[in-house]
Amino acid sequence: MPEKKSVHLMEAGEELEPFEFLVTPELNQQYLYAEEDYHPRYLEKNESGPPLVHPALLLNMSNSTRSPSFYLAPGWAAIHAAEETEFLNPARVGKKLRVTWRIVETYEKRGKPWRVTEALVVDEDGVQILRRKLHSTYSSSESAK
Amino acid sequence: MTIITKETPVGQEFSGKPKKITWERLWTFSGGPFAASGWPKKNIHTDIDFAKNAGLPTACASGTQYQGYVIQLLIDLFGEEWLKNGKMNVKFIKLVPEGDTLIAKAKVQSKEEDGSAVKYTLDIWCENQNGDKVLVGTASGLVKK
Repeated sequence: MPEKKSVHLMEAGEELEPFEFLVTPELNQQYLYAEEDYHPRYLEKNESGPPLVHPALLLNMSNSTRSPSFYLAPGWAAIHAAEETEFLNPARVGKKLRVTWRIVETYEKRGKPWRVTEALVVDEDGVQILRRKLHSTYSSSESAK
Repeated sequence: MTIITKETPVGQEFSGKPKKITWERLWTFSGGPFAASGWPKKNIHTDIDFAKNAGLPTACASGTQYQGYVIQLLIDLFGEEWLKNGKMNVKFIKLVPEGDTLIAKAKVQSKEEDGSAVKYTLDIWCENQNGDKVLVGTASGLVKK
């Protein structure tokens, strides 16, 4: 079995393992509670199809920590500092979504490693839902002292 | 129905509803699916000791949790169409501990003709009960002419 590579050491061009999940009504409603957003568009079907998936669910499920291969070496913490987000199409409850991640830029600032990761969410029909560029920095418990 | 129309002037400001970051909502957003064993999963967003071991002063909300508050405001302003063409760039500039109350805000920065639509660019931010900004950035959306 290959040794896991800590995400703070990954290089541009490397990818994390994709993540697939089904958006059930229960999972969607969990995020409606968390967000205090009970708009009918997220609960009821309409002429366009099943209820919409709450955007905050899409964001949280496409954080790179969701990847089965995400690994951070012991003593390190990731800080999600900024992002560029582009909504491409609404997602519908009942669809399976697939998230892919690719490191697109690496740099160091104030002695800390930074990684820019592009995330793409696509539904089971191949419809692109969401594109994000996540800017994250990493700190170790040693460097925090 | 949208709140921003092609007549909306530069400088106009909008606010969402105040939302309190409670433990229940932290766990619901960041603790994983309710159905998962051991819910809520311990991480820097859900567990004080876990956060302190990672070098943070206490458990803090995921930035995507309150990014969702801004998105809720943007969908109110531009309608569901925003999920097909909406863009946002954000920075998370201050930690948000349990007990904070946040409010999402937006202010029209500029508007320009964009084919058959008017493209609006907004300054967006989230501020806490002390008026301190915790998220800042810009967003854009289209309004049909």
